[in-house]
Amino acid sequence: MKPHTESVCPVCLKRIPAQRTERDGNIYLEKTCPEHGFFQTLIWEGKPDYQSWGKAPRATRVLSDERVQRGCPYDCGLCSQHRQRSCCVLLEVTQRCNLGCPVCFAEAGGETADPDLHSIEAWFDRLRELAPKANIQLSGGEPTVRDDLPEIIRLGREKGFSFFQLNTNGLRLAREPDYAAKLKAAGLSCVFLQFDGVDDAPYIALRGKPLFEEKCRAVQNCAAAQLGVVLTPTLAMGVNLDQVGEIIRFAMERLPAVRGVHFQPMSYFGRYPGAPEKRVTLPRLCREIEAQTRGAFSAEDFLGGTAEHPLCSFSCNYLLRPDGTVENVSPRSSCCCCGEDREEDGSEALNPRTAVEKARDTVSRRWGGAVPEAEAPPADLDGLDGMLYLLKHRRFSLSAMAFQDAWNLDLERLQNCYVHVLSPDGRLIPFCAYNLTSAEGKALHRR
Amino acid sequence: MNGEQNWKCAKCGAALEMKKVVFSYMGRSFGHEVPTCPECGRVLITKELALGRMAEVEILMEDK
Repeated sequence: MKPHTESVCPVCLKRIPAQRTERDGNIYLEKTCPEHGFFQTLIWEGKPDYQSWGKAPRATRVLSDERVQRGCPYDCGLCSQHRQRSCCVLLEVTQRCNLGCPVCFAEAGGETADPDLHSIEAWFDRLRELAPKANIQLSGGEPTVRDDLPEIIRLGREKGFSFFQLNTNGLRLAREPDYAAKLKAAGLSCVFLQFDGVDDAPYIALRGKPLFEEKCRAVQNCAAAQLGVVLTPTLAMGVNLDQVGEIIRFAMERLPAVRGVHFQPMSYFGRYPGAPEKRVTLPRLCREIEAQTRGAFSAEDFLGGTAEHPLCSFSCNYLLRPDGTVENVSPRSSCCCCGEDREEDGSEALNPRTAVEKARDTVSRRWGGAVPEAEAPPADLDGLDGMLYLLKHRRFSLSAMAFQDAWNLDLERLQNCYVHVLSPDGRLIPFCAYNLTSAEGKALHRR
Repeated sequence: MNGEQNWKCAKCGAALEMKKVVFSYMGRSFGHEVPTCPECGRVLITKELALGRMAEVEILMEDK
């Protein structure tokens, strides 16, 4: 990784030079705004090694001929500085919410009227031009407050989209036993369930209410409807980082309905309690997973993403054998057919189309396939039929995505982003740019 | 007729017999019974197996 990059001033959001500086095995993003002074943020903490992790292949081609005016991150739509296509696109179908958490990237709970079905149809039509094969994330607000959510999914299916993920707090799934089946019948592929821990304490801290029992019921109702669930904890230092092992165990006890755990270290945009102090970094999370599972999972299992920027995410696939042992089944090297050339720092350059299509298909298969009917395992688990059984019934993934905010924003990472939001005016905006807010809460793109 | 029965080896002319063979893919090995020539050891992978369970395992294993 080169030391120099660009970021924004967290106070005025002006673009300023930034530097990745190493001290005592940690990496900090340092930047100085001529008007508002010096800022530093921890971005990498210890092992796995930052330099080797950062050499993962990434997309580097220019994709758009949209003219750059003010430059990144101001011209989103996407401009010619962006290097990646859409893997998944978020549609914010409502700004309303039935929780009102102290922590919320979407600043949900406002009085904004929901877009009607006609407007959402226009969004799907726009997406057919911009990203016709994108995976769709139904987001908000809390999407399930809309009674016509099944109609929205059906509409999207009619428009040719094939993967629909619901980002939800799960309250409605818990409270209405037949709701999961209704969504599945409409064409929902999987549920990304906000799941912050295995007791009430993290929910009280992050969401303001004890919710663990309702989360369990939501998982149970999805399993009964054979609708796959990915547990999505928001991780905050001093709140629930000590629960990652228990969260993983909770998931493993509920395969195959639970497909995996997708950790999201807390980012500081939208509503958040005060300025960030101690962040959960990806390497710290890797080590916590290893320590809290007593080495059943190794920090070395996890590899940075290839379709997005490697510093933004990690993932690994596993098989859970009937004797309780886990086996890493992720390929150890990047796809041999994707690499094309090398960057100055030795990292591999990817064809963005190949990389993002692979990521899209992987997400769709890994998280979206129907939950299989229960069946007895074959006698010989080491045979072809045994392997097929394990891959279908006993496979799960551990992954994480580190979103960026005004303090740790690295424009090199942002330009490789493949998680995009379709803005109400029909532009694709990288998720972290769309949600970027200044220290005073002023949004850059969100209206 | 079962797709895995009544085949003869093109090289040796011997009737194929079902035998457990170990397949390796992406660093992983798993056994499966397939028609095998008792003389030269050549095996027959039927279209049904290649496009069915083998392809399924291959796709699932190739996920990143």
